[in-house]
Amino acid sequence: MHVTSPVRPPLVTGAKTYADVTEDICRHVEAKPTKEWWVAFIISVVVLIYGTACVFWTWWEGLGVWGLNKTVGWAWDITNFVWWVGIGHAGTLISAILLLFRQKWRTSINRAAEAMTIFAVLCAASFILMHMGRPWMAYWALPLPNAFGSLWVNFNSPLVWDVFAISTYFSVSLVFWYIGLIPDLATIRDRARNKVSRFIYGSLAMGWNGSAKTWARYEYISLILAGLATPLVLSVHTIVSMDFATSVIPGWHTTIFPPYFVAGAIFSGFAMVQNLMLITRVVYKLEDYITLEHIESMNKVITLTGSIVGVAYLTEFFIAWYSGVEYESYAFINRATGPYWWAYATMMTCNVVSPQLFWSRAIRRSVTWTFFISVIVNIGMWFERFVIIVTSLHRDYLPSSWAMFSPTMFDIGDYIFSFGFFFTLFLLFSKFLPVVNMAEVKAVLRSSSETLPKKVAGVAKGERMTSPTYNKDVQ
Amino acid sequence: MASVHAIPSVEEEFIFTSGAKTKLLIGGGIGLAMVLIGAFLLANGSGHEAAEAAHGAAAGAAEHGEEAAHAGNWMTRIWANIWVNAVYFTGISVIGMFFISYNYLAEAGWSAVFKRIPEAMPAFLPVTFVIMLVTFFLGGHDLFHWTHEELFDPGNKLYDPIIAGKQSFLNTPFFLIRMVIYFASWYLLWRILRNLSLEEDRIGGTTNYYKSIRYGTAFLVVFAITSSTSAWDFVMSIDTHWFSTMFGWYTLASWHVSGLAVITLTVVTLREMGYLRAVNNSHLRDLGKFVFAFSIFWTYVWFAQFLLIYYANLPEEAIYYRSRFSGYGGIYQAPFFINLFLNFFFPFLVLMTRDSKMTHSILKVACWSVLIGHYFDFYTNIMPGSVGANGGFGPVEFGFILIFVCAFIWSVSSQLTKANLIPRNHPMLEESLHHDIA
Amino acid sequence: MVGVYDDDEVILHAVPKLRKAGVKISEVYSPFAIHGMDDALGHPRTRIGIAAFLFGVTGCICALTLTIWTMGIDWPMIVGGKDPISIPNYIPITFELTVLFTAFGMVTVFFITNGLGPSLVNPNMFDPRSTDNKFVMAIDLKGNRMTEAEITQQLRETGAEEVNIKQF
Repeated sequence: MHVTSPVRPPLVTGAKTYADVTEDICRHVEAKPTKEWWVAFIISVVVLIYGTACVFWTWWEGLGVWGLNKTVGWAWDITNFVWWVGIGHAGTLISAILLLFRQKWRTSINRAAEAMTIFAVLCAASFILMHMGRPWMAYWALPLPNAFGSLWVNFNSPLVWDVFAISTYFSVSLVFWYIGLIPDLATIRDRARNKVSRFIYGSLAMGWNGSAKTWARYEYISLILAGLATPLVLSVHTIVSMDFATSVIPGWHTTIFPPYFVAGAIFSGFAMVQNLMLITRVVYKLEDYITLEHIESMNKVITLTGSIVGVAYLTEFFIAWYSGVEYESYAFINRATGPYWWAYATMMTCNVVSPQLFWSRAIRRSVTWTFFISVIVNIGMWFERFVIIVTSLHRDYLPSSWAMFSPTMFDIGDYIFSFGFFFTLFLLFSKFLPVVNMAEVKAVLRSSSETLPKKVAGVAKGERMTSPTYNKDVQ
Repeated sequence: MASVHAIPSVEEEFIFTSGAKTKLLIGGGIGLAMVLIGAFLLANGSGHEAAEAAHGAAAGAAEHGEEAAHAGNWMTRIWANIWVNAVYFTGISVIGMFFISYNYLAEAGWSAVFKRIPEAMPAFLPVTFVIMLVTFFLGGHDLFHWTHEELFDPGNKLYDPIIAGKQSFLNTPFFLIRMVIYFASWYLLWRILRNLSLEEDRIGGTTNYYKSIRYGTAFLVVFAITSSTSAWDFVMSIDTHWFSTMFGWYTLASWHVSGLAVITLTVVTLREMGYLRAVNNSHLRDLGKFVFAFSIFWTYVWFAQFLLIYYANLPEEAIYYRSRFSGYGGIYQAPFFINLFLNFFFPFLVLMTRDSKMTHSILKVACWSVLIGHYFDFYTNIMPGSVGANGGFGPVEFGFILIFVCAFIWSVSSQLTKANLIPRNHPMLEESLHHDIA
Repeated sequence: MVGVYDDDEVILHAVPKLRKAGVKISEVYSPFAIHGMDDALGHPRTRIGIAAFLFGVTGCICALTLTIWTMGIDWPMIVGGKDPISIPNYIPITFELTVLFTAFGMVTVFFITNGLGPSLVNPNMFDPRSTDNKFVMAIDLKGNRMTEAEITQQLRETGAEEVNIKQF
């Protein structure tokens, strides 16, 4: 028996039964797409087509179409990569770390957050491919034997670590997400009315039957996967940070980078989850599942991680002065007061100041404010990466090579590509897969509902019996 | 199944028996005796060795000015020992407060039943504060290179431009002000939280709970800054030239896992003494998980800092690990590896399985491993920069550990007698009593 | 014989009662994991963890072998002034591969032991509502010494909403 303290706010409102949960979520999967969905989808696809054209041209013509120069040889491409990878941290964090900490509020948001993670990591990966200039050679990053008469990949290079980290993270997240989907896919399969969806969802559900033995193993492997995914999440952004921190560029080589990048990643990821969930919640009328409590909890995490990032900024600044290293001190003063001061100011305001607004309970529980600040946070996190990358590079050790970076329309177009890609995938997901983890919500329903109905099972709408023999007993 | 268990009574009084007091006094006495013997040996018996080391260090002083000023002085070793233990136990004590605070903020329920234990730990803070203050006044010059005025005087031949650049942070008045701020803010916020908790025992209700969340959050905000700055002050500034942005969080990770090990160890010991019957296997497993997870977290932070410095190999940074790994005749190499073994490999392997986390003996072994390991963690961070080649591990080290441990146990025990061992009116207590993670 | 329950707590309490009464329960099917159900049914604890650990060790060894052999033995190379074999640099990849092997190995074992795999046969044969809102208990009459009527009565007493007979 689980006891829930009376001081805990409810996580599910509206006296939902188990059948209601199934109905409320499956409805959207089974129904025809709405007009709003079509509009959003078509816009995303148009954006995606434009972006794809830009990416195609980038590959066709070469990386010269970007605004890079001799001094700033790495700018929007890597900024966008780190930004997307960072966003891709929240999903697994929500499902893994919050599962380990037994936070029940994660159940309503983990599915969509994990899907978002996977799509964000795909977007990030697309920038790695763009970087390569010749993406058809991408497999050279793998440790293949000396087929080309050359060397092995350099395992001392953080970029190779990154290949391993991102691909491991992507595949493990995908597995984790899919494992979580299986019981829900089975639910849809058993509700399916037409052959096509029974075939599709049936084959995806892998023959799930929900037996106690399967559930016990399922719970067990979920915990272990969570235990594995937690350090994995940390390791991914750690390794991303090492792309910079192992070098000796002032402003990059600083030991706090790994945990500070991780905190920043969680920060921006949660902000992106907020944005997506706030829209999904309204469009799919899921206010009873994604309540203000959920939004508030996520805002608390945003404030916490935003403040951690703030402490890291201050630490870096302080130690740059404390170290007495001329170049390090200059790099930081240049960030704040040099030609890119506006980027630094944007970063500080958006990342450190704006989440502090959430100390106010009213703002924390306001949907509009939450949405607004989440957008701000993501802008700030993009600028953080831009500041780290471009301001550190644009002042070389040789003043004669000092330069500025200005993006071309292909820098921008390739970035737009990732948005089109991301939203197209997310819209497809939200249409064809259950956006809330039904099985997990049902599992916490009894302990976390505001009011429980008399019969918690409820009546499935239109009791669909495939065979009348089931009802023998009714007479 | 949990519903099968009968929940034991929540009314428990801890008795700090006179037998236990005697034992602690004897322990402290033995510690003192060992320190005295050790000090005597250092001052006389091994005087030759010390002089030789002093000579070696003086030769090396041409390159690094740091070690020269206090080489060969056996008193330095005494001060450094006090400092290592004081910093370590300050951390453990304040982690008690940290633990309660984040449990309040996260609205955690499971930990309510053993909340009195972390709550008892910060009472030791005034003791370490006085010890550190006295040590700083008496032995500050031996420990902290930056306390020497001549480093800041451009005319002096010992002038050190890099250290002089740090003067506005590393100077005695500001250091003392910061130290007072740390201890005062930690201790006062703890007193508030403690009083709210004791009052809750009497009056019940949820007002104190909500107030505690607020004060706990306030502490976390304070601690977010002070945990880093205190680590720079207490530990990093000993190696005055060296710097690492990670150091604050690294020390916090050390303190945190040590504090968790102390909490776990106390819970297990109290259970063995017949107290805390309401703590069930699920609580123990969760505590075990905490120690397991945060020993990995510490390793992560340790490794990230190490790898970045190792990889970039900048002389001003890499010297830190160089001096610990092969400097001073390699005397710090053993503690360096003991540190990694006891803090990562051993608890990692031992606490991995589910059953081990609810077995008293295994939990105890793992916690002791973490506690001893982190003693060596602070040892390797403080000793090379302060005593250098005169370091070692002998009766003085053992003695001081013993004194501090006995004093800390005394402090925690006497705090535990001051209230019911289980916070009977904590709003989360019901949840905690039925905690079941099967 | 299929007993359909309406409430997870009712079925959780029903299981030990029925087992005490001598009913052999084949399996319980539910739309979500019921805490303590596997214990109540007397299922042995899963040993997937051991498999996961072994996969992890394999991954760890593979990664170390790969990095040390390629960088230090097959084509030794000094990068950044480090020894050709510089273990700290290989730790990130070792960690990643350990996780990768553990996760995939464990999930594969999970799929195999539960007989999960792409299949079009609907395995949810007792009652399709067990993935929606009902809790279904399957009892094999052949394996039970009690009669149909006795079991039906037992199921009813423990709170079953429906009792159906299914032939396979």
